[in-house]
Amino acid sequence: MKLMIMLRQVFVMVALALSAFAFAQGNLEINTPAISALQKSMQQRHAQLAPLYASGALGLTADGNVALRDASGVPMAQRGQVNALVAAENADRAALYREIARANGHPEWEAEVRNTFAQRWVERAQPGWWVQGAGGWTVR
Amino acid sequence: MMSMNARLVLGTATALAIATAGCVTINIYFPAAAAEKAADRIIDEVWQLREGQAGPAEAKTEEEAK
Amino acid sequence: MLGIACTASLAAGAGGLMLEFGRLAHPAVVLDGLSVRLGGTGLPGAIRVGRLTAAGHVIDDLSFACPKLGISGGIVSCKDARLVIPGVIDDARVDLTVNPETRSGSITAQSAHWGRFEARLSPDGTAEVRLHELPIGALAKHFPVIGDFGPGGFFSGRLSYHRHESEQVIALEGAVAAGRFSSADGLQAAEHLQLSINLGARSSGPAWAWHTRMDWTAGEAYLHPLYFTAGPSLSARGRVESGRVFLEHAALTLEGVEALELSAEIDIETAQIARGVITVERGDLAQLGPRFITPVFAPAHAESIRFAGLFNFKALIAEGALEAFELSLEQAGFSLTDSALSFGPVSGVVPWRAAGETRVALQVDGGRWQKLELGPFALDALLDGPRFRAHEISIPILDGRLLLSDLDLGRQGTGWSGRGGVVIEPISMKVLTEAVGLPPMSGVLSASMPSLNVRPGEIALEGALVISVFDGYLQVTGLQVLEPFGSAPHLFGDIEARNLDLFQLTETFSFGSMTGFIDADVLGLELAHWTPVRFDAALRSSAGDYRRRISQRAVENIGALGGPGAALAIQRGFLSFFDSFGYRTIGLSCKLRGDVCVMGGIVVKPDEGAFTIVQGGGVPALNVIGYNRRVDWVELVDRIKRVVESNAAPVIE
Repeated sequence: MKLMIMLRQVFVMVALALSAFAFAQGNLEINTPAISALQKSMQQRHAQLAPLYASGALGLTADGNVALRDASGVPMAQRGQVNALVAAENADRAALYREIARANGHPEWEAEVRNTFAQRWVERAQPGWWVQGAGGWTVR
Repeated sequence: MMSMNARLVLGTATALAIATAGCVTINIYFPAAAAEKAADRIIDEVWQLREGQAGPAEAKTEEEAK
Repeated sequence: MLGIACTASLAAGAGGLMLEFGRLAHPAVVLDGLSVRLGGTGLPGAIRVGRLTAAGHVIDDLSFACPKLGISGGIVSCKDARLVIPGVIDDARVDLTVNPETRSGSITAQSAHWGRFEARLSPDGTAEVRLHELPIGALAKHFPVIGDFGPGGFFSGRLSYHRHESEQVIALEGAVAAGRFSSADGLQAAEHLQLSINLGARSSGPAWAWHTRMDWTAGEAYLHPLYFTAGPSLSARGRVESGRVFLEHAALTLEGVEALELSAEIDIETAQIARGVITVERGDLAQLGPRFITPVFAPAHAESIRFAGLFNFKALIAEGALEAFELSLEQAGFSLTDSALSFGPVSGVVPWRAAGETRVALQVDGGRWQKLELGPFALDALLDGPRFRAHEISIPILDGRLLLSDLDLGRQGTGWSGRGGVVIEPISMKVLTEAVGLPPMSGVLSASMPSLNVRPGEIALEGALVISVFDGYLQVTGLQVLEPFGSAPHLFGDIEARNLDLFQLTETFSFGSMTGFIDADVLGLELAHWTPVRFDAALRSSAGDYRRRISQRAVENIGALGGPGAALAIQRGFLSFFDSFGYRTIGLSCKLRGDVCVMGGIVVKPDEGAFTIVQGGGVPALNVIGYNRRVDWVELVDRIKRVVESNAAPVIE
C-alpha cells in the first residue's frame, strides 16, 4: 500500500516534470489583451451555455463552433436568445482562432488553430454533452 | 540594414538552393503540440475547469435556468 | 366530375339481395365498385366500396357492416353501422342514408380517433361536411412532409359545397384548437395555437374567386430565427386561374405596424412567386427591430443594437427574386451600445433595384462615436446592386468636419471592399480635449488621407493625420484597422511627433516642469482591443538651441516611473537646494512586445542594465539613470496615471 502511494507520488512528480519540460519547450503566445478579452467574454457566456450543452440543445461542432442542434427542449420564447448566444459565441471563437494565429506571427495558422481547438473542445466535453464527429452527432 | 546573421542565413539558403538545383521549399511547421496546450489552457479558463468543480456548479446553473 | 353515371345490376340469390353499382358519381364524390348486400329490410347487410374518390383523394377497400339495413322506395339506410377502412379508420360508428337515384344522402360517423364527422349530399348538388374535433395529427400522418413536423391539435368546422347551374361555391368556416407542430430540431415549431379560419370560393367557369380571413388568437411560434406570438390576423382575397394563384390583396395586422399589405401571383406547380408586392406602413423600429431585424442580420449583437423611429417599406418580387425595394425612414435611430456608436434621428429614402442605379438621400440629424458628438449631415449616395457610391459625405465633428470623398464600396460575400478618401477639416484641440475628457490643450487636429482602402475585415488609410499641438506637431501615418466591428479589433499606425514644447506638455499633464523641445516616434504601433500590444517608441530632445531645464518634481516623477526598482542618480544634499537643473539631452525609449516594455535611454550599458534618461548639463547638472529595463506595460501605464493624477506638491528631501 505504502509502496503504491510512493510510486504514485513519483509518477505525479515525473508527470509534472515532463509537463514543465514541454511547457518550456515551446508555447504559443496566448497572453495578449485581445485573447484575454475574448477569453473573458467567452467565460462569462459559458454560464448561460453550460446548461444548454447539458440539455443537448447545443452541441460542439467538428469545425470548432457551437451549433443549435435541438431547440425543442428550450422554451419557445427563448430560442431566439439561444440563437443569439450561439452567434455571439461563434463570433468570439472565430476571433480567438484568428488572434492566436496573429499573436504568434502566423496569421495563416488560423485554420490549423481552429482544427486544434475543435478537437480539444470535443475531447474535453463533459459527459452528456453532444459533439459532432465524422459520423454526425454523438453524446459523450 | 541587413544584419550579419541575416546575411549568413541568406547566404546559406542560397548555397542550399543552388545545391538542390533550385528545388527549395521553406516550411514553417504548425506547432501542433503547443497549440493543443494553448487550447487546453484557454478551455480550462473558459469552462472554468481548473477547480475541478465544473460538474456540480453547472448542474446548479441548469436548475436556476429552469 | 361532370359525367354522372349510375349503372346498377340487381341479383337475387339464396342469402338475400345483392346490389352492384359499377360507378356512382356525384360532383363531390365518386364511388367505384360499390356493392350492397341486403338481407332484407331490418336484417343485417354490408356495403363494400372498391374505391372512393373525393376531392382528388382515393380510399380503397372501404367496408361497411350494417346490423340493420333498410331499403324502401329506393333509399338505402343504416343505423349503428361499423365502418372500417384498412390503415385509416379502425372502427367508426356510422349512420347512413343513400338515395342512389337522386344521388343524395347523409352520413354521420364517430370514432375515438377521428372525432365526429357529418356529411350531407342533396339532390341539387349541395354537399355539406361538418367536422367536430378532427385530430390534426391523425390526418397529417397521411401526408409525408407535414407528418414530419408532428402536428397536433383539433380542427372543427363546416365545409359546404354548392352548385347551381355552372356556378360552384365552396365555404369553409373552422377553428384550430391546441394546435402545435415542431420540426425534429425544434427550429420550426408552434404550440398552443388557436386559429379561426374563414374561407370562401366561387367559380363560374375555370376560374375561382376566393377570399379568406384568419385570426391567430392564442399560442406562440418559433420559425428560425424569429419568434411570434398570437395576435396577427390576415384577410385576403384573390383568384385561382390557369395554374396560378392571384393574391389580389392581403392585409396582415401585426403589432408595431400600422399596415402590412401584400399582393402576389404564385405559380401553383413551381410554388414560385411570379410577381409580388409587399408594403409596410409606419413600422415601429423600436418594436420590430429586436424581433425581426437583429435576429436575421446581426444575431450576435442582439443585446447591443437599439432602434428607434418609424419606417415604410415597399418591395417588389419578380420570378422568385427581389427586384426592387424602397425603404423610407422617419426619425429613425440606430445605436450600438457596446461600441458607443449611434446615428439618428435619420430621415429619408433608400431605394434599391436589382438592376440599375438608385439614389439614396438621407438626412442624419446627429450621432455619437465614443465621446464625440456628430453634427447633422446629409448622406447622398448611389446604390447599384451591391455597390454603394457617394461623392462626398461631410460629417460635422465638434468645430471641424470629417469629409469622406469618392466612396465606392461593394459588398461581396464575406464583407465590404472598396476605396475612397478621408479628410478631417481642422478640429480645435481645445474643443476636442474637452470633449474626450483630456487636460485642455491648444492646437488643431486635421487629416488628409487621400486613399482609403476597404477590404473584408480591413480598413487602411494612406496619408496623414496631423495634430498641431504644444507648438510642434504630431503626425499619424499608415493607419490600418482590422475587424473594426469584430470582437477583437486591431489598429496599426506610425506616430511621429516633432518639436513638442516640453513646458506646455509637462504643464498640461501635471508632470512637474520641464523646458525644451522633444521629438518622439512611435513606430509599428499595434493596438489590439484598443490596448497597445506592440510598438517601438523613442523620445529625444529636439535639435536646436533653447533653454533646457528640468524641475526637481519632474525628476522625481521620472524616477517614480521607474518604480521601486529604479534608482536615481540624484546627489542628495547639495542638489536638493535647487528647484530645477540644467540638462543637455533627454532620451527615453520603449520597445513594447506583448505586455513587456524594454526601456532604453540616451546611453545604454547593457551589462549593467542601466540607461541614461536625462543627461545633465550646465549648473547644477544631474543625470537620471534607469536600471530596470524590462517593465510590465500595464504597471508602467498605472505609474504614469498615478504620477499625472497626483497633483501633490513635490517632496524634496
